[in-house]
Amino acid sequence: MNDNHNDRWKKLRNVLIGVGVVILFAYAIQKTQINLEEPLEPRRQENLQGLIRDLAQPDLLTYNNQTRSTIMSIRMPCPEEIRGSQVSIEDRVAVLTPNCASTTQDPLNLSGEGFASNVDVAVLWYPLGAQTRRTVAEFKTNAQGVFEGTFTMPDIRASEDPQRLEVVELIDREVTGLSNTTIETLEKILETILMALMASTLGTILAVPISFLGARNLMSGVGAPLAAIMAAIIAIPIGGWVGWQITKLLVAFSEPAREQPFWGLVAVLVIAGLIWLVLRVGPPLFGVENPSLGLQVIYWGRILIALLLSILGLALVAQLGIVAGLWLDEHLGFLGFVGNFIFVMSDLLRVFLPALVGFITALVAASYASRYGQEAVLKMADGPARFLTVVLTTIGTTILVFGIIYALNWICIFGLCNQLSQDGANLLLTLAIPSIFIGIIAGLLSLLTKPKRLFPVGMVTYTITRTILNVLRAIEPVIMGFVLVVWVGIGPFAGVMALMLHSIADLGKLFSEQVENIEEGPVEAVTATGASKIQTINFAVVPQIVPHYLAFIFYRWDINVRLSTIIGFVGGGGIGLILFRSTNLTQYRQAAVMVIAIAIVVTLLDTVSSSIRKRII
Amino acid sequence: MLRIRNLDKVYSDGTVALTDVSFDVPEGEFVAVIGLSGSGKSTLLRCINRLIDPTAGEIWWNDIQLSHVTGEELRRARRRIGMIFQHFNLVDRSSVLTNVLSGRLGYVNSIASVLGRFPKEDVQRAYANLDRVGIREKAENRADELSGGQRQRVGIARALMQEPGLLLADEPVASLDPALAHSIMRHLQLINREDKITVLVSLHFLDLVQQYSTRAIALNEGRLVFDGAPHEIDDDKFLEIYGQEAERIG
Repeated sequence: MNDNHNDRWKKLRNVLIGVGVVILFAYAIQKTQINLEEPLEPRRQENLQGLIRDLAQPDLLTYNNQTRSTIMSIRMPCPEEIRGSQVSIEDRVAVLTPNCASTTQDPLNLSGEGFASNVDVAVLWYPLGAQTRRTVAEFKTNAQGVFEGTFTMPDIRASEDPQRLEVVELIDREVTGLSNTTIETLEKILETILMALMASTLGTILAVPISFLGARNLMSGVGAPLAAIMAAIIAIPIGGWVGWQITKLLVAFSEPAREQPFWGLVAVLVIAGLIWLVLRVGPPLFGVENPSLGLQVIYWGRILIALLLSILGLALVAQLGIVAGLWLDEHLGFLGFVGNFIFVMSDLLRVFLPALVGFITALVAASYASRYGQEAVLKMADGPARFLTVVLTTIGTTILVFGIIYALNWICIFGLCNQLSQDGANLLLTLAIPSIFIGIIAGLLSLLTKPKRLFPVGMVTYTITRTILNVLRAIEPVIMGFVLVVWVGIGPFAGVMALMLHSIADLGKLFSEQVENIEEGPVEAVTATGASKIQTINFAVVPQIVPHYLAFIFYRWDINVRLSTIIGFVGGGGIGLILFRSTNLTQYRQAAVMVIAIAIVVTLLDTVSSSIRKRII
Repeated sequence: MLRIRNLDKVYSDGTVALTDVSFDVPEGEFVAVIGLSGSGKSTLLRCINRLIDPTAGEIWWNDIQLSHVTGEELRRARRRIGMIFQHFNLVDRSSVLTNVLSGRLGYVNSIASVLGRFPKEDVQRAYANLDRVGIREKAENRADELSGGQRQRVGIARALMQEPGLLLADEPVASLDPALAHSIMRHLQLINREDKITVLVSLHFLDLVQQYSTRAIALNEGRLVFDGAPHEIDDDKFLEIYGQEAERIG
């Protein structure tokens, strides 16, 4: 009884699913406007034929055509009496019957004798009053120089006078060179490949560290007490600010080197010597067990001096590079781009050095703060540890919240920027008050936890990293291109940035999956020797992932070339830009050249990348 | 002296691996840990160097409370505890020398080691240890070019680099044929006798236990069921350790 009921219910369910599927597809066909009438219309088919013919004759080369013309005439519309006409010039005889047309359907028969053998013959029509001529028919002569065929006029231009028809033999054709389109395409395809190269390189450099943060097996064991996390949060802006300011000062200090490059060079050499002295003279820096306080002060003092000198040296090198790059650009002739390269790199170094150093000092400060915070809290008695946790949580949360609402104000989410006065000092104060308030609440809440409990910071970082990567991956590079074109302007740089962002997201995910797939054994073994996290990654993880990373980098380069062909559609530079232009101008013969170039490059790179991948793994 | 008191380990999926395990190991002993697969031998060894965190109980090694150290102190404790593994756990794509040198990571400066720079003495020490296990000429080879027995010897050399006071060996011969097994066991015995390093080794075959160890500890379903001299394991004890269905094969 029950079985019977089940059976019936199953049947009903299947019928319902069937009906549902039919409805879905019916709706989909309506929505996607699938329509067979339009494409079958003769006008459409003619357009398609024209387009495909253009695409089939890419504008690759320029020719010098040697031709010979035989002039005839045609009447439109036909007079009362319909006749044929015959023209003979030298040995050639051409016969057109009839020699008139009233409609586009009237068949016209053209035959010729004594023409050049085995050549193409085109019939050109010069419509009366028009500047252009149109090809109305094409024939081929046989070995005896004879041809015959029927054609129709594509259009009827009525007039009293006969209109000119020209029978053109293509006697000889020689290639005179590459067409402008080909030259432009070559230039742009090179730009495309280089865009992909830059995007892949920069993307890889940034994706590697991110991939470690996004690997579950590396992050799952990482935990720290609340106080240590908060100490790191407090240390980040302080460390970053100190590093940034000091570097800015040093860069400003190095500025005169541009006026006096010789003394700049001398200064660089002196600094290099000083660094060597500081590091080499005196007790060894590494491998001392349990050093005394005095020795530690000397140790850190020497490292600090060496670091400051290195930064100053880098700033000087950047300044000298700018001078040298500009000079080379002027004097190196066609190799000037090397000078430009040196100039751009040096300028990048000069501009980004403070930010870079600030970033590094922020990380270093955070890592030391969390390490000593952790050791302090774990060693302290419960009471002081609790007190320290409350203080650090209050300050840390305040800083964190302040950072977040500052960013929200900047993007103007929730209309924050409309409601607040944007005047500098006022704004900071307005943002600081709620931050401090939330900080105090968080500090009080921290009393609820045990101060020595380890928080799973690793898994939190993992989740955040993965979420950002997934969101970034979901945004098509073309859309990123839109935003970046607004920011950095139309051109390949915008394309590189868009592709780089997408590469980071894509490679970051692929890389972290590789890290998750490594053998755990070596990691376990290296951890057991007392190695630190960084040493473990370097000695047990990196050797296992390098070949896979290389394979993915090539794969990504391949993808980036394909993507950079279309990133130009939104102004991102590369071949897409000119492909977009020629298709918009309906210059399909030019577009065909670019399509061919893309096909060749993508196929080539695909083959190369897959063979490299096979060899590496 | 290694002292283990009331050690419990329950994995996060609820598996009970160790229950109330307590025993002492004086300096210089060669202790075999026996028991069925899944009886908790690996977990016990890994709790000692904290590759696994115990759920409850205490582990003391001399005056260090191994079960509770963290951070820098844990690293400092680990570097004096060598470990070798059933599957050798070498980094296949690195050279034998690099694998051996990685045993020194707990001692050297982090940044210098990441840049591939090891102190000269350590490189010499690595060659000396390779010499000791008889594969000095393989130093430049990639680890995956070696045979199983050679790979385990690299594992031993790596552990020796730590200048350990305690050596943990997790079924070091289970992946090797009997002849190689004896060779590896003899190396461990030599290390135990010459360097006075305490050895804790988990083993499957009773004849190896009786031939090499000075003492045996048996686990059954995470509980300590035997602690005594190896020759005390008679047929009754054997059935108690391995269950009534078991049959002696070695």
